[in-house]
Amino acid sequence: MNSKNTKSVLHQMWTAKATVLMIFMLFLSAGLFAQGKKQISGTVYDNTGSVLPGASIIEVGTKNGTTTDFDGKFSLQVAVGGAIEVSFIGSTTQKVQITANTSNYDVRLQNDGYALAEVQVVSVGYGKVKKSDLTGAISTVGADDLVKGTISSTEQVLQGKVAGLNIIRPSGDPAAGSTIRLRGGTSLTASNSPLIVVDGIAGVDINVVQPADIKSVDVLKDASATAIYGSRGANGVIMITTKSGTKGVSVTYNGLSSIGYVTDNLDLLSANQWRGYVRQSGNADAVDYGGNTNWQKAIEQTAISQSHTLSINSGKADSGFRTSIGYLNNEGVIKKSGLERISGNVSAYQFLGDNKEVKFDMGLFANIDKWHPIDYRIFERAYNLNPTIPVYNEDGSFSSVTGNIYQNPVEILTNRTFDNERHRLLGYFKTDVKFLNDFTATANISLEHNAVKGGTYKPSYAVMEGQTEGGFAQRTYAEFTNAQGELYVNYNKTIDKHNISALAGYSYLENIYQGFGAQRGGFVTDAFSYNNLGAGYNYRLGDVYSYKGKSNLVSFYARANYGYDGKYLLTATVRRDGSSRFGENNKWGTFPSASAAWRISNEGFMESSKGWLDNLKLRVGYGVTGNQDGIGEYKSLSILGVGNDSYYDPVTKTWSLAYSPKQNPNPDLKWESTQQINVGFDFGLFNRITGSFEYYSKTTKDLLYTYEVPQPPYLVGTMLANVGEMSNKGVELTLNADIIKGEKFNWNANLTLGHNVQKIEKLSNPTYKTDVIYSGSLHGLAGMSGQYSQIIAEGYPVGTFWGFRNAGLDADGKIQYYNAAGQVVQESALVDADKTDLGNIQPDLTLGLAMNFTYGNFDLGISGYGMFGQKALNATNMMLNDPNRLPSFNVPDDFLNSGITSAPKYSDYWIEDASFFRIQTLSLGYTLPLKYKKSKMRFYVMGENLFVFTSYKGVDPEIGLNAQDGINQTGVMDQTGLAAPGIDRYNNYPRPTTISVGLNFTLNN
Amino acid sequence: MKIKITAAILLSMLFTVSCTDLNEQLYDQVEDGEFGNTTKEIDALVGGAYSSLRGFSDAISNNFPTCEYVFFLNEVVSDEATIPTRGTNWYDGGQYQDAQKHTWKADNRMILSAWRYNYTGIAKINAIIYQINKSSLSDKAKEPIFAELKALRAYYYYNLLDLFGNVPIVTNFEDTDLPSNSTRKQVYDFVEKELTDAIPHLNPNVVYSKLTRNVAYSILARLYLNSEAFIGVARWQDCLDACQKVTGYSLTPDFFANFVTENQTSSEIIFAIPYDSKAGTVGNYMNSMSAHYNQKLAISPIGNYPWSANGMCAQPGVYSAFADTDKRKKCMLEGDQINLATGSVIMMDNGEPLTYTENLRSLEDAKENEGVRLAKYEMKAGEQWERDHDFVLIRYSEILMMQAECYVRLGSPDLARPFVQQVTARAGEEMPATIDLAFIDQELLKEFTFEGRRRTDNIRFGTFFLPWWSKGATEKYRAIFPIPSTVLTTNKNLKQNPGY
Repeated sequence: MNSKNTKSVLHQMWTAKATVLMIFMLFLSAGLFAQGKKQISGTVYDNTGSVLPGASIIEVGTKNGTTTDFDGKFSLQVAVGGAIEVSFIGSTTQKVQITANTSNYDVRLQNDGYALAEVQVVSVGYGKVKKSDLTGAISTVGADDLVKGTISSTEQVLQGKVAGLNIIRPSGDPAAGSTIRLRGGTSLTASNSPLIVVDGIAGVDINVVQPADIKSVDVLKDASATAIYGSRGANGVIMITTKSGTKGVSVTYNGLSSIGYVTDNLDLLSANQWRGYVRQSGNADAVDYGGNTNWQKAIEQTAISQSHTLSINSGKADSGFRTSIGYLNNEGVIKKSGLERISGNVSAYQFLGDNKEVKFDMGLFANIDKWHPIDYRIFERAYNLNPTIPVYNEDGSFSSVTGNIYQNPVEILTNRTFDNERHRLLGYFKTDVKFLNDFTATANISLEHNAVKGGTYKPSYAVMEGQTEGGFAQRTYAEFTNAQGELYVNYNKTIDKHNISALAGYSYLENIYQGFGAQRGGFVTDAFSYNNLGAGYNYRLGDVYSYKGKSNLVSFYARANYGYDGKYLLTATVRRDGSSRFGENNKWGTFPSASAAWRISNEGFMESSKGWLDNLKLRVGYGVTGNQDGIGEYKSLSILGVGNDSYYDPVTKTWSLAYSPKQNPNPDLKWESTQQINVGFDFGLFNRITGSFEYYSKTTKDLLYTYEVPQPPYLVGTMLANVGEMSNKGVELTLNADIIKGEKFNWNANLTLGHNVQKIEKLSNPTYKTDVIYSGSLHGLAGMSGQYSQIIAEGYPVGTFWGFRNAGLDADGKIQYYNAAGQVVQESALVDADKTDLGNIQPDLTLGLAMNFTYGNFDLGISGYGMFGQKALNATNMMLNDPNRLPSFNVPDDFLNSGITSAPKYSDYWIEDASFFRIQTLSLGYTLPLKYKKSKMRFYVMGENLFVFTSYKGVDPEIGLNAQDGINQTGVMDQTGLAAPGIDRYNNYPRPTTISVGLNFTLNN
Repeated sequence: MKIKITAAILLSMLFTVSCTDLNEQLYDQVEDGEFGNTTKEIDALVGGAYSSLRGFSDAISNNFPTCEYVFFLNEVVSDEATIPTRGTNWYDGGQYQDAQKHTWKADNRMILSAWRYNYTGIAKINAIIYQINKSSLSDKAKEPIFAELKALRAYYYYNLLDLFGNVPIVTNFEDTDLPSNSTRKQVYDFVEKELTDAIPHLNPNVVYSKLTRNVAYSILARLYLNSEAFIGVARWQDCLDACQKVTGYSLTPDFFANFVTENQTSSEIIFAIPYDSKAGTVGNYMNSMSAHYNQKLAISPIGNYPWSANGMCAQPGVYSAFADTDKRKKCMLEGDQINLATGSVIMMDNGEPLTYTENLRSLEDAKENEGVRLAKYEMKAGEQWERDHDFVLIRYSEILMMQAECYVRLGSPDLARPFVQQVTARAGEEMPATIDLAFIDQELLKEFTFEGRRRTDNIRFGTFFLPWWSKGATEKYRAIFPIPSTVLTTNKNLKQNPGY
């Protein structure tokens, strides 16, 4: 064993066991001498049967040893009758007796779950740290633990996997994204999504990376961990490390085919139920159209989906590459909807120099999405339409009735064309140079490009918007480009028991966004779809547009770590961010953090508990982070622009464009700043259970919001400003247990729990006075124009329902209410002062649970997640239970028995507990062991969204956090703000239940 | 060695790449300092002052321009129009019921909309004056531009004087101190002075849709006509004098020529807000706010007419106030609505015929077909959602009627006759033997139905405070609206109007 090997082993061995082994090795080796020697050889495998390069083989009691080569093979001269110890980081060390007549020893090492976790390296931003050395709150999810199945957006792989991280999918639309919230969110206006960092590139679209290319995900939760990302770190950071060439050659194929179907529809009257009602009520005017239609079923379909990923991996001693190509086609359960994606990924690395002093890394990710956004207004119409209206007339044309919000939803889906296409590209080139022994300099340049093209055509025969326009065509294009350059130097030095590391760096980010579009109406023929805009004769100002903007972010950052004997660990970071978006008076912000950890279990006085306590670590951290997403470009300036402000010139009888001041400029505009304290424990017990517990308290100051300002003197009635203050406090628990670890049978369970309490602390300052912000708009619902269901006010969390408390129905079926004095009153007697807190949309508890069983070659997995204690406004139900609807509009079955006679009015009568637990996946697999070089083939069947435990009466209790006015027409989610969450409002794209069969095949060479 | 070179390259990159420039670069907009130096740019700025007359729509008000800002409010609280709740529709927090019953509160969003409409217009003009003031234009060149802008601003202040009375006066864009109220008298004096000062510099000719000398005199005439209601000082003669300065207009032979799609050619319109869907103008949805959902079948056999909301209608008593011979009666839709495709009566979704009735079951629960509808502006098959007809603010017949009213009030009804006769003759109406205020009041109702000015007439004639359909007697303080509650919250220097 040469000195260099010793050093590298030393460097990596931080587990207790490894240390013990080392001490053993060093002290005992001197005393032994060679007896009768013999040459032995063998191969070392890991617990899955793959060869294990780099495992150590030491002859017990000597310094004599070697490591396995690239193919896991070793050979060594050893004394007959002696023993060898085979060890590998993260595996249980195994002792093998050497006998005279055997010279070939194949050794299979078992995983040491605890030790493996401890030596994992975790991405912390501009570098990696061993998990055991962490001082901040960071959760890691490995590739094996990511959620699998019919996945259209990458964030879904984290659902239920990280305590405190909520992934909320508002619907089952494959083209709809998810909302990611860590620890409750921090902002009213700005994005509450964590910063996504892919292979060190900050701020990218998470969907640029496909789930099959992910090696691990590290979620940086507390401010001491995220402060290194400064003004973008307040909502946490999700660090994605992608797979790169590993040693050996392998080809992997993953395929999945599935069918999805709708299991939950609203129970509305069937045509016969409707006829029964009409007969009973004796309504002579009611129009029976003679059909028999379930309008919900009429817009639904069975979704057939498939996905395929093929990857090639090749790695040698000093270089490696990996390529993958993927195709997925996820149909939606609503006709026409779906998502088709082609993706590709190439990554490669190359070392240079005798001692691998230089490393080049490059990666390229690209994908193309195609989808047909559907008009979400179909759901309201499907609920509205009289079930006796047939979908088609006898001549095959679409039936159509003339009323308002009454159009045939099948016609809407069929006649109109929406084609969207998104291109994503991320490329980077990274160079690491080691110098002066302890330094590594890194230069990383990257480019992300994201472009969306759209084409819309509403033909002249399309009832909605097509007819009046005489055919309407539109093309749109929007793109953004993020160019980043980063340069940083890492220093790492171990002197005796002292470990010192430091980082200093600089980064420059330039974001350019631009787009253009054109639209026209009035087509003589519908033959061109959106491909010949020039053929439209109805031209309006504003039918063509283009825009462009730019922002940049300049940052300097530094971090220092100090560790003593692996017991006492300190980290301090600072980042200074300058952003062009910030106002003139606040161009630069500084974001510091400090944290410390104590490995209590490594202390001498803990020796007695070694038998059961593998690890106990206490962590404390504090930091300040920012959020600058809500500012947008140019908001601090006084600018003039053209809107659609045209003016008439009576002399020339023509119209010209006016230029007007656009906004109240705010030169004081700056980032939102979040201070966070985090206290956490990591523990490992009985070599079976690992876990961590976190307590955090964070306060966000200078909340950005478009505050109402008095007119006069202000130019416009609102102004973006930093005013309010919000707090989030909570606890999180993560537990992972190897409940049974056997030769054949294994049972592993993983549990995450999160609890968060949010409160608005302040909304006013000396300049801006706000008592309350009304949110949760009900605008657009019949009779509720300009009405709001929620408030944002001091002392309450975001999403607090505010309104009248119901006292049930009176004898006439009218909903009664409590007034402020607690008396039961009729609707007409209510005054504003009777409005009260009706609960809020914040869950008390979020939970994720996963269990994996293996028996021989069989594996069984089950995972689920849930949210508990949150309220939702079932506005769909509120609007459908309207006595004015029959006989023209359909109603729920329940309505006929409910006896309700009052017209819809917002109150807690329609607010429900939306707690749920969803069985997300259940899978059963069988792995076929292949003789050829440990190649593997696994077949599986999987069910997704098999069951939801809930008392919620609507279609789905998991309601989007951002449904401002429902998902907008093109199905694009509003990704910003917390303003109107938790309202179930006709936007019930059903979440399918999916059954899939899949194949994973790895061929090793 | 190689490594050292690489390291050196990397380190030098640090300094060459090192860019800390954080200035914002604008691509599709300009900073205020870089605009307003050419005639074209000045025209584009002044044009913006006019385009703001169309109003705007934003998240605060959730409302449509023009229709709901001033027009809806002024009509719905008058004896002319009402927005009944129909089933679930048009309840909207009770804001329209409150308007009808005269029980509005300071948080009524229609009131906030009216406030913001006017103050946004004022703030824009202040910004434009500031912008032009900075430009390289000579003072002499600036003078007529400022006069035009200030007169337009005075129009907004006239609205505020009428609606809210004691409003703050802000004229300087750079002054961002929170203002306090001026008295109604101060606002009145301000409007009078601004208009009088501007008049010598304004265009003396008839120029459609621009704030000319004629328009300024018309606004002054309105101010003097309502002077007694505003500040308790009657100024009938001043009103007459101002009216006589308005020249170059004549009544169109056809009353409805003022309300057709291409109404910009009317010889009668003194001031209007131009609209043209092709020019991207947004708003002016009055017809659609009133017509029933299925009205489109009476306009086009295939229903090719924009969506309608079945809201606003005439109060009971308005339709029957017109003689059947009165040509203006056609400004309302009453009775069976005929489906152009079938020739029979249009059916509503509930199976009942679409027959508009003058009477309504109740304000709180009107049936779909109740209430006669507004149809003053042309409704054409194939029309787009964005309408093309210009919204009329001041017509020459108003100048005639103001003079008639002033003569009656000054005790010379015979002098009023030639003025009012022109109006009634065109309508095909008989003149009464004696012209009194009651006749003038009724004539104003019939001539200017749904033109957004009835509330002011009701107050001047005192009828505003008397009971009418779905409304009891009104207390005097409601002659002006309360200052919107959110404005009071954000500006602590403002005091609420008395009574609220």
